[in-house]
Amino acid sequence: MTQVWRSGVSGSPLRLLALLAAALAILPLAGVVAAAFSGQATADIAARDLSRYALSSIALSAGVALSTAVLGTVAAWLVAMHRFPGRDLFAWALALPLAIPAFSVAYAYADFLDVAGDLRTWMRGAWGTDLPLNMRTLGGATFVLSCAFYPYVYLAMRAAFMNQSVQALEAARMLGCSPGQAVLHAALPLCRPALAAGVALAVMETLADYGAVQFLGVQTLTTGVVRAWFVYGSLTSAAQFALPLMAAAAVLLWIERSGRRGRSHDGANVRWRRLEASPLKGPRALVATGFCLTLLTVGFLLPAAWLGLAAMGVTPEWPRLLRAASHSVALASAGAVATVFLAALLALGAGRLPVTARLASLGYATPGAVMAIGLLAPAAVFWKIAPGGSASLWVGLTLLIFAYAARLMAAALEPIEAGLSRVTPSMVAAARNLGRSEVGAALAVQAPVARGALLTALLLVFIDVLKELPATLILRPFNFDTLAVMADNYARDERLANAGWPALLVVAAALPVVVWLTRRITVSRPGEDTP
Amino acid sequence: MIRSIPLAAAAVLALSACSPSNTEKAGAPAGSGELNLYTARHYDADLALYELFTKETGIKVNRIEGNPDQLIARMTSEGASSPADVFLAADAGALWRAQNANLLQPTSSPALEAAIPANLREPEGRWFGFSRRARIVAYDPAKVRPEEIDTYEEIASPRFRKKLCVRSADSVYNLSLVGALIEAWGPQKAGDWVKGVVANMARPPEGGDRDQIRAVGAGVCEIALTNSYYYIRMAGGGDVKDKAVTDKVKLAFPSLDGQGAHVNISGGGVAANAPNRENAVRFLEFLASPEAQKIVAEKNSEFTANPAVPAPAPVDAYAGFTANPMSVSAYGPRQSEAQSLMSAAGWR
Repeated sequence: MTQVWRSGVSGSPLRLLALLAAALAILPLAGVVAAAFSGQATADIAARDLSRYALSSIALSAGVALSTAVLGTVAAWLVAMHRFPGRDLFAWALALPLAIPAFSVAYAYADFLDVAGDLRTWMRGAWGTDLPLNMRTLGGATFVLSCAFYPYVYLAMRAAFMNQSVQALEAARMLGCSPGQAVLHAALPLCRPALAAGVALAVMETLADYGAVQFLGVQTLTTGVVRAWFVYGSLTSAAQFALPLMAAAAVLLWIERSGRRGRSHDGANVRWRRLEASPLKGPRALVATGFCLTLLTVGFLLPAAWLGLAAMGVTPEWPRLLRAASHSVALASAGAVATVFLAALLALGAGRLPVTARLASLGYATPGAVMAIGLLAPAAVFWKIAPGGSASLWVGLTLLIFAYAARLMAAALEPIEAGLSRVTPSMVAAARNLGRSEVGAALAVQAPVARGALLTALLLVFIDVLKELPATLILRPFNFDTLAVMADNYARDERLANAGWPALLVVAAALPVVVWLTRRITVSRPGEDTP
Repeated sequence: MIRSIPLAAAAVLALSACSPSNTEKAGAPAGSGELNLYTARHYDADLALYELFTKETGIKVNRIEGNPDQLIARMTSEGASSPADVFLAADAGALWRAQNANLLQPTSSPALEAAIPANLREPEGRWFGFSRRARIVAYDPAKVRPEEIDTYEEIASPRFRKKLCVRSADSVYNLSLVGALIEAWGPQKAGDWVKGVVANMARPPEGGDRDQIRAVGAGVCEIALTNSYYYIRMAGGGDVKDKAVTDKVKLAFPSLDGQGAHVNISGGGVAANAPNRENAVRFLEFLASPEAQKIVAEKNSEFTANPAVPAPAPVDAYAGFTANPMSVSAYGPRQSEAQSLMSAAGWR
């Protein structure tokens, strides 16, 4: 847990602000629970169907966990510990899938590998049969989401490999391990916490996904929520089906936190020496380059190229697209600032409010359809009391930014807590002794030290808001389309080619941010002023 | 945090910069010559409609698009302060759910009643259908003779074991079709029909209606259930590959009890708390007018609801079918029963 200066004053302003920030984030979740216990559950969903949904949710999560763990770890191990052709490029390029919304990856693969698509039609012509590469299945959805989410594991593991000291590996070699055994028995176990954290993030994203699974028609517990709500018209039943999903989200968060706790042996205390990357030659180098290139192609190049090709066939409506793009970028910027501000308040008070901070993170792993239910309750109050109500642009924007903060608090909280953990209690105590108030010390000492972490958090939330769908769909004000909403509208109307342009613009907006973010992490070394 | 202060200022500036322009002002108070539209239709054709309405009446159209049930939930949450004037949806069942949630008010308008046939509107005027789509069969003429699929019963007959492509039970279009069958046949026969459909599936339900048509073209199945406009769009559309599919796949209009093909509607009604009620009624009357009907038919490949308006090209080539006269207001109350039948039969 984050070490912050502990105050004996229970009503300190920081603590109150932290509680306020947490309350905002917890409000929608409380909304879901309230909805589940009010009114009558009238959706008549068969137990058999429910267990099928639950099984596919579990299978999907397990599949994504396993494949992102393997892909992300191998890629990180290759890039962090070896030299081979293209390594410097792959080091940051392998994070690029973060710039593509998962739903766009789903459009691309579903269309590209459709039974009536070019590839499989050609296969049937050439071979007389085709491979059953159907994306609209559980396996297909696992593939699509793994493509989209492996960078979470990759980034976490690469940082862990880079931060570990060479001493552990040398010790293992001196004790008689082969280089491979040293990795297996020393490097990997030391990086286990990072692996747990990365995989937990990937699975949380999987659970929270709205657009991709919906589009692929894979029926998970989220389907149960949506069916109860949309077909049976029972918000109460929908909220009740949402409760186990929220419980799963809580378990994942707990796993992720336990992962962090284990980081005490990440080599910070021993004398740190840079790990010398070992050069790969001949066929080994070829395999390494081939692996990274395949991952990059499957995760980014192919879906991006498909979006580009699809877009080519459609004349873009620039005025509408640009307006949506300006909305997306503005919302993402404002959402990022608001979320990071609230998360920073929460992080400063987190040492004293560990459970509250975790509860406030729950929105990140809560399925989009569930969050939408929860957001309606606080929104209802706001719509009724705010001047102009639901018709006002500013009321709508404020609500949306609140929704993003509630949903993405964890994405900002994680890096900020990590950054603040470098501030020792004595540093804060020194500032207080020099006459600073509690808030003054936070501004003068903690915020500057965690500056890099705050920037990382801003970038992460910015990217996430660009890709956000469910909250934007239900809460946005009049005449206010974002790129993600436009893409979703076209996709639901089965006009995938038209969805190409807005999806491509999301990538264009997110790409520079992802590259910048990844390079920041690449250059970071222990002891330097970066997260 | 220190760093985020200039960023916050930048974000606020960015948000101000992107405030809707003059042509697109945000929601309006009563009597200001605006109309607030909550629409579950998200077709480009609709934008052309709104522009025309504004040109003709000077009334600005503000819109929020979304899933019908999310819009219903939002209107419910907004309660009496809801700015919604008109609610539009692309399924009679969704309109019924809005009606059932007391979100729509009765409208009596001689113009609307004259333009829209009684079976395409709610009896008390809570909602009106403005365009029609038939849920029918796409088939491969090399394997299937048209007379083999001229009734809905035949879709579920053993003749098509493992030869049918159909999308999931989540689709409102399927729910409304099964709702109509329950209305016509009763739950027993409709349930048997659903079981027959499940037995006939060539593959587990996947994708949308276009994907079913393409699957017929690719030889995965011989027949597929689809909404008419998907096929008509593919046949007339800019996509060369889809056009080629429709050269190999034909459209058949099965008849329900000898009375014609199952028809669903896109429609809308005046919101219960509409602040601009007069504008709302004017908008609905506009949607029923010949010029608006023509735009919807042309741009979205739907059939007109106003019988006085002949179908324009390219829809006219398909418009000669007989439409079942069943009231579309019968579908909604049957949808959850339909879902239960489909779920019991294993229609995912």
